[in-house]
Amino acid sequence: MRRQVPLILCFLFGIVMMLVEFSPHPVSEGLRAEVIEWDLIIGPFALVIGVVTLVHTHWIRIRRRVEHWQYSYLVFIGMIVMVAFGLPMGPKNGGNELPKWLEWFKWFKGPENEVFVWFFDNVQVPMEATMFSLLAFFIASASYRAFRARTLEATLLLAAAVIVMIGNAPIGDVLWNELSPVGENIPSTARQWILDNPNLSSRRGIILGVSLGVISQSIRIIFGIERSYLGGGD
Amino acid sequence: MISKKLILFLFLLAVVFGPSCTIAIAQEAPADVDTRWFHTGKIWIFLSVVLFSCAIIFSIYRARGGGDIFIRRIAGLEAVDEAIGRSTEMGRPILYILGLGQVGDVATIASMNILGQVARKTADYETPLRVPCNDPIVLNVVREMVKAAYLDEGRPDAYSEDDIFFVTESQFAYAAAVDGMMVREKPAAVFLQGTFYAESLILAETGNSVGAIQIAGSDSDSQLPFFITACDYTLIGEELYAASAYLSREPMLLGSLKGQDYGKFLIFAGIVLGVILELVGITWVSTFFKEV
Repeated sequence: MRRQVPLILCFLFGIVMMLVEFSPHPVSEGLRAEVIEWDLIIGPFALVIGVVTLVHTHWIRIRRRVEHWQYSYLVFIGMIVMVAFGLPMGPKNGGNELPKWLEWFKWFKGPENEVFVWFFDNVQVPMEATMFSLLAFFIASASYRAFRARTLEATLLLAAAVIVMIGNAPIGDVLWNELSPVGENIPSTARQWILDNPNLSSRRGIILGVSLGVISQSIRIIFGIERSYLGGGD
Repeated sequence: MISKKLILFLFLLAVVFGPSCTIAIAQEAPADVDTRWFHTGKIWIFLSVVLFSCAIIFSIYRARGGGDIFIRRIAGLEAVDEAIGRSTEMGRPILYILGLGQVGDVATIASMNILGQVARKTADYETPLRVPCNDPIVLNVVREMVKAAYLDEGRPDAYSEDDIFFVTESQFAYAAAVDGMMVREKPAAVFLQGTFYAESLILAETGNSVGAIQIAGSDSDSQLPFFITACDYTLIGEELYAASAYLSREPMLLGSLKGQDYGKFLIFAGIVLGVILELVGITWVSTFFKEV
């Protein structure tokens, strides 16, 4: 029973939602909107689960004194500070309309909830930007390995990459037009040809395969053939 | 476009409530209410979904009867045993990353299916399996799956709930946390399976730098080049969805792969036919696909 009910629900919702996709009738549209709303309702429960498991994980780390356990305190400090400033006085929580018992908090908040926004803009955003910027260095190291011309494929990749890079940089066309007597803007034309023909064809091949794979996987799930995601083998 | 039924409805209301109401209705009538039960413009998509589904169901039905089903060798999936064996020999953990997808994403479900198979093997070999999650619902499903896999293998004592944990929902904070784990714990094998975005290369390059054997798989075509560059094996596109069937070798799952191949064959035949007809000046195939 524990597995049959989810399987029946999966089958019903799978078939109904697929049919709804092909029906513009207001009843279908309403059903779709309703199910999306149900999906949204799960969100807050997920948040509670997330917070509980995060607290549990880091509490265990501190209690067992595992390696670098001290950093778990930072998780708690960050969480408490952001919740303390965000929850009672967040922009989506009534703005300046605080209940009387929370009015003494106002001096923290300011008219535009500056403290919460300050923490977000000056702590979280720079840290995320730092991680994102690492990507530039990783692209360089990955490219170095990929473009070592050891095999025929790697050589082709290197040649295509060089053409695309030169075609992308405006100086490529300028130099070509100045130095070469043959044709105009050849680097950017060649770059566009590579992107529009071999590149796009391979991408479309992958997308077709993915689409068929998604349909196949969905059928397996809807008909209960693939059920390992429910836990257990059979 | 207002349908005939809606116009009739507005007319009846106007008759019942008089001319003053007519103006109000005319002003507030919805601009576009489609009362058709079937969108005729999507008929070809519907038919192709039905045709393809029938091919898959037929293949599954045939596979139930037994018989040998040939599935081409997928290097990335053949390497799963090698990766787990390597981790066991080195005494280091396996890191399984499910990506940033949610539990409703097909790629995440495919990734969880692979994880189930990997967990069975780690249970056998007693190799630690670490799974950092970025979605609390995925976390709970994964815990149940891995626990069931360990129970099925008769090793419930080897299962540790603390090894499957929630990190954060923030994309780059998640990447930073997982990178930190890689650098500190130096896993011998890293699995990157599921939906990935800009963090894909950050994770894959860090895994490469710690010397882990890496098996990646994603349906995000924009991230595949990064994985191919930085990982030892990459499951490209539909190989991710085929992995569960490939690893479990269940006839019914393998049958669905055969149906998938029939679909690919049909598309391939359509492309070849279209190219040939275009070359000889017959354009109805391309016109048909443009209209669809």
